[in-house]
This record gives sequence, C-alpha cells and structure tokens, in this order.
Amino acid sequence: MKTTVSSTLIPLSAFMLFLAAIMSFTFACASDKELPVLEARAQEINKTVMCPVCPGESIDQSQHPRAKAMRGVVDEKLAEGSTNDEIRQFFVERYGPSVLLEPPREGLNWLVWVVPPVGILAAAVALYFVLRLAVRPSRRTGGSPDDGVALSEAERDDYFLRIEAALASDSDGERPPQAVSDTRDAGEAVAG
Amino acid sequence: MLVDAGFVALPIALVVGGYVTVASFVGARLHAPVLVLSARYGMMTVPLLLAIATLALVYAFVTHDFSVRYVAENSSLALPQIYTWVALYAGNAGSLLFIATVYSFLTAIAVVGLSRKLPYTAPYATSVMALVMAFFLGVIVFLANPLERLAIAPLDGQGINPLLIHFGMFIHPPMQMMGLISVAIPFSIAIGVLLAGRGGRDEWVDLGRTWGMVSWLILTVGLLLGSWWAYTILGWGGYWAWDPVENSALMPWLAMTAFVHSIMVQKRRGMFRMWNIILVSVAFVLAEMGMFINRGGPVPSVHSFAQSTMGWVFLGFMAFTLIAALAAFVWRIDTLKSRERLDSMLSRESAFLTQNVLFLAVAFITLWGTIYPVFSEAASDEVITVGKPFFDRVNGPILLALVFLMGVGPLLPWRRANLRNVLTILRVPLAGAAIAAVALIILGLREPLPILAVAVCVIAFVAVGHEWMRGSRVRHRRGESYPLAFARLLGANRPRYGGYVVHLGIAMLAIGAIGSSFYAVQRDFNVSLGDTRSIGDYEFTYVDFGSQPFSDRIEMMARFNVSREGSAIGSMDARRTFYISHEVGATRAAIRSTPIEDFYIVPSEFGENGTAVFRVYINPLVWWMWVAGFLFVLGAVLALSPRRRPPVPATLPLPKGVRLAGV
Repeated sequence: MKTTVSSTLIPLSAFMLFLAAIMSFTFACASDKELPVLEARAQEINKTVMCPVCPGESIDQSQHPRAKAMRGVVDEKLAEGSTNDEIRQFFVERYGPSVLLEPPREGLNWLVWVVPPVGILAAAVALYFVLRLAVRPSRRTGGSPDDGVALSEAERDDYFLRIEAALASDSDGERPPQAVSDTRDAGEAVAG
Repeated sequence: MLVDAGFVALPIALVVGGYVTVASFVGARLHAPVLVLSARYGMMTVPLLLAIATLALVYAFVTHDFSVRYVAENSSLALPQIYTWVALYAGNAGSLLFIATVYSFLTAIAVVGLSRKLPYTAPYATSVMALVMAFFLGVIVFLANPLERLAIAPLDGQGINPLLIHFGMFIHPPMQMMGLISVAIPFSIAIGVLLAGRGGRDEWVDLGRTWGMVSWLILTVGLLLGSWWAYTILGWGGYWAWDPVENSALMPWLAMTAFVHSIMVQKRRGMFRMWNIILVSVAFVLAEMGMFINRGGPVPSVHSFAQSTMGWVFLGFMAFTLIAALAAFVWRIDTLKSRERLDSMLSRESAFLTQNVLFLAVAFITLWGTIYPVFSEAASDEVITVGKPFFDRVNGPILLALVFLMGVGPLLPWRRANLRNVLTILRVPLAGAAIAAVALIILGLREPLPILAVAVCVIAFVAVGHEWMRGSRVRHRRGESYPLAFARLLGANRPRYGGYVVHLGIAMLAIGAIGSSFYAVQRDFNVSLGDTRSIGDYEFTYVDFGSQPFSDRIEMMARFNVSREGSAIGSMDARRTFYISHEVGATRAAIRSTPIEDFYIVPSEFGENGTAVFRVYINPLVWWMWVAGFLFVLGAVLALSPRRRPPVPATLPLPKGVRLAGV
C-alpha cells in the first residue's frame, strides 16, 4: 500500500525538520574555530564600547573612521598588557561613561539593572495571587474525588474517533472544524 | 496639477476625519442612524482622497518635480529611477502620508466587517478609528505637509539617505509602518466595544482576533525584513542591535503577541475580558511610542532619518490615548465582569496568563532600557548608554522561558491539569530535549547556556511534531492515507494548527539566534590583490577590484574566489559605495548562505595599490531565521483562513462512564 511509505514520510516531517536543525547546529558549532586570544579579547571589548559619533553602534559594528581608530587603540593596549577593564576605563575617562554600551554598575545606574529582576519578581507574585483569587473557591481546597482519572492513549484515541464520527455524520462534504483538537482538550479536561 | 489636487485633498480628508469622529459617536449615542450611516460613508471617502495625495507625491518624485519641497529634500536627479517610486517614505512628512493612506484603506475594510458583524459596536469603533486618522491628517496638514511647494524650485534635489538605497527599501519601511498603524484597528474595535457597553458579550472576539493576527503578521514580517536589511547592508554581521527604533518596533509586537494568545481564552472560556482590552490598548500605546521614537524622539538611533521635532506631538497624542482608553475602561468596567472562574492554578488558561505576563515583562524591560538614558540624564546629568549587552543579558533568559512555555503551553489541557498528567503529556518532548542535549555534548559542545537553549527549542519542535503525528495516526486508523490525514488535521482546526506552524517558526528563529549569538566567528584581514587567507573551514582569495565613479557616488567592488575544506565554492562579490555629498559609505556584504552557516565578507576599507581591509564572519544558522519568516506567513494565513461553522465549545459530551471532575 502507498500509505506505508507515506506513513514514514509525512507525519515525521516535523521531526525531520527538527533533526535537520539540530544536525546543522552541531555541524556549525562543534567545529573549533581558532582565534588568537588577544583578537578574541579585542572583539569582546569592542562589542561593549560605543562609537561616540555613531549613536547606538559599538566600535565593533561601526565602520566609521573613529571606530576604526578606537579598535586600533584597543589592539595596542592589549598588546601592552592592559586588562579589559583598564581599556574600558581608558575610554570612559576620555569620552565619559556613555561610551560603554552596558551601563556601569554603580550609583544611580544600579537602577537600570535592578528594576527588571525586581519587576519580574513582583509580576510573578502578582500573577500567583491573581491566579489564586481567580480559581473557584470550591476547587482551592482539597482535590475532587475524580482527580487523577486519566485516559489511556487507547481510550483517548477511541474518544477522538467517536467525536469525529459524530461530527462527520451530518456530512455535507465539509470537514468538521475544530473537532480534532477539541477532542484532545476535552479528553484532557476529563483527565484533570 | 496632480500635486495641487493632492494638496487640496489632504485638508478635505482631515475635515472628513473630524466629521466622522463626531458624527459616528453622536449618532450612536442619540440613536440617529442617518448620522451613523453618513459617518460610515465618510470613512469610505478618506482612502480615495489620500490615494490622490499619495499618487501626487509619487508622481512628483518620479518626474523630479523639485518645486515640491519634500521631493527636493529627499531625492536628486542621480537617484536611480526605480527608487523614485519609493522615495516618498524616505523622510518624515511622506512617511506620515504613507501611514495615513495605508491606515485609511485598513479602516475602510475594517468598517465594512464591523458594520456587518458588530452593528452596535461599529459606530463607536469607527469614531475611534477616525479620531486616530484625524490626528495623523492634522499633523500632516499643519506640521509636515509633503506636498508643500517651494517658492523657487531648485535645479537638483538634496538626495536621499544612501542607506535607504537598497532593495529592502521596497518592503521593510512600508511593512513596518503598516504594522505599527494596523495595531490601531484591533484597538479601536476594543475601545468601540467598551464605549458601546457590550464588553460582556464576547461578540468582538472573532473580529478582534482576526485584526490582531493581521496586525501581528505585518509587524512580524516588518521586523524580519528590517533584520535582513541590516544584515545585508550595515555590514556588521548582525541582524539585531537593540537599537531604540528596533526596540520601539519590537515592543508593540510583544504586546500584540500576548493579545492574540489571550484573546483565545476569551473566545473559548469567556474570561480575560478586561485583560484583553488592556493588552490591546498597551499594544497601541507602544505602537504610538514606536512612531514617536522614529520621529525625533529623545533617543539617538541609526534610524534617525525621519528626525523632526514633531515627536513631542506624538508623545502628547500617546498620553491622550492612554488617558482616554483608561477613562473608557473605568467608565465601562462593570460591563466586563466575567462569571467564569479558573478551575485550577495549573491549566491552559494559567499558561496563557503567564505567557502574557512574560511578554509584557520583555516589553517593559525593553522600554525601560530604551528610555533609561533620558531618565538618567534628567536625574543626575550623567549621560549613559544602554545597549545590546544589557538587553541580551536581561531579555535573553525571559525570551528563553517564553520558548519553553511555547512548547509546553499548547499541551496543557483547558480548565485543569495536575502534575501527574502534565508530566505524562510532557514525556515525549522532554525526552526529545534530553536526547538533543546529550547529542550536542557528545558532538563536542561544552557551553551549558546554548545547550540548554537548544534543548528548550527542541521541546517546542517535538511537542508540535508529536501532536501532528498523533492526530494523523488517529485519522489514518479511520482509513485516511497519512498525507490526507495530516492535511485534514491541519484543515480541521486551523487556528490551532496555524498557531503550531508559527510556533515551529519561532523555534527555528530561536535556533538561528542561539547559533549566531554564541558561535559566530569574525576576523579582520589586511590583504593585497592576489592574497589568500583562511578562516575556519574557508579559504578565500582576493582576486579582483573594480571601481566606478558616478555623479554622486563611487561604487567599489571586490571579488573573491572562495573554497571550503579544499573544494571550490565559486566567486563572491562584496561592494562598498561611497556617497560623496553625504560622506557616507554603504556596504553590501558578500554572503553565501547555507542552512549550516553563512560565510560573510564585508569590505571595511580600500587602500592604495590594491590593499584592502575585509571583515569576514562565519555566522552559524542565520539561514533558519529567514526561513522562519515563511512559516510565520504560512501559519498566520492558515490560522486566519475562514471556517464555515461556529466553533464547538470547549466541553464536549464525554465518553460513557467518565465524569468531569467536580461536575
């Protein structure tokens, strides 16, 4: 039968897609790409320093002469043996703190770092309480006797088929909309 | 002639917009169908009027009519002819006209659908749409009229921003602008529902979802095209820099994504009524914020070509929107109460809510980082920058959590789940993720972060694949062949499976982002003609240099012969164009893209005697990000394609012998 061939092909397409993605991922990333240590460090620094004349762009991105000159400074200082932080500090002294793409963690600037995690935490707490309040009071205390009645795969498939059949019985050639997934949903509602 | 006609059409359109705003609202309040009907027809005339104005502007550009100030400022005789057709949105005034025109067409379509499907809400929603329209037209007529004439026409124009001369100009700006303004439609529908006092009926859910999806799709495509454009022309090997304007386009997208999900909960369960109206309002305010930042907002950006001082007018309108929406909300809050309650802390509903909160969190963190410099300067006189490293670090983990939720959420049952059945459902996806993680480690990856991130994406892939397989298998058992079973499965619940296709796309996008942010390699090479250099598995020879002067620019081209692991790939051309009048260089990278990795050469500098500096990147997996774009379109179209029957409620008759818990 034709179906045996396609049975391996079609529904597995998603899996193959994912497999392809993973394969290419490992091919692309597993191969070790040698880069001299100083060059790697230079890139690391360049990506955190802003080009003062091209707002928003790092000196790594920008092809502006100023950015090129600053990249040269980074290379020089690295060759002289400066640390990453010393080089960043050098630029801060010359151009002010705005030259760093990542705000320094000091003084008022702690705010920019602290607000997001605190906000997330607050949102999580709020979400928890909203959910608690929204849950039907009767459901909050104790489980119902039906808790844990889960359908087996076979039962679920059977349920699926019966709903499909019921919806298809008033057939006008059109496929029953919605039925497929709702079956699952309802089936699982039962399980809960 | 045509220009004059357009110049006259603009104020007329403004008057019509103002009339519709008032007539539609008053007509609905006073039950005066004549007024309502006149307003509806008024709304239909605006696209015609604006089409005349837009055509006039395009005509002026194409014919190099420099007596029009805007044309003189944004084009020149040297501009390649093909770009004169799209130069209208190269600057501020023309962009606004373009936005208004697109918006007027969208509203005309929306008004037709509204008056058919939501007759009671339609007049109010029309009024809100017309108000937004009137704002834009007011700005155009009084502050930035693109059809204004100069007293003396110059012989040549000042030219266009050279970075805009790229194929992307034809698609990214219109998509992006259309995306931002299209958020106004679901917003107007929601506010219209509020004003009509019909929020408790859930009747707007279908139309709201449709327009939400349309708007989401346009925003998505706009963002992707912008990334692609940046990738090919800005020459830094990246596609997303958390630039303020990028952020401002991302924020409404985030809120819209939250909205198109949570509206499903209202559709299925009659819950989240208030929340959905809040979400869509937030999305619209963020979209206005986007347009504000793009028009000379407070933050410097690479997108600063539409700079002007009118940003503050937009800020004012944004504040007005916020207050007005809030007022409408408070006024009608009693109509929005839902009697539905959650059944369990753990359920599809709660997953949706968590997802919403996370999306809003990313949006607000992005907003926070984008405007913090302004705040800091005001508070302490210290100028600081908040750039890519900050956003990567803070938003990265939340986005990953969202990808996880994207994999798990759709598997959770509505109403209630418990830990045990959740674990049962997640068995397969989690196993897939574990296998993938082990495979990556065996193949030599060691960094925990990318391994975890990929594993999370795999959960999403497997979850979708497993669902599809199970559904097809059940249908197959009933006698359908597998391909037919799969096709019918997709066709049977389009909103759901369309959503899955989009989810697959998002997982692919994430894989691309992970690969290229953790494993990209870059190097600068100083070379002379004939030199060969190698990086990674690649070897390239700089074989040819050509340069060609034009009246306004010099185009330089470098040719390379490239081979990978010893076998020749062929030749690649990288370009750099220097615009004399603007003193700006634009690059066009030579990119060879494969699913595995991109080999990317960009000229940094051409020196004397055939020497040059090239920057070379090997960017893994970027290809997948662009492919994901097609899945977004496919999935959204599938999810939006019309169904012929009303949906079946979430609770269906149960199999014999099984009782629903607690009923």
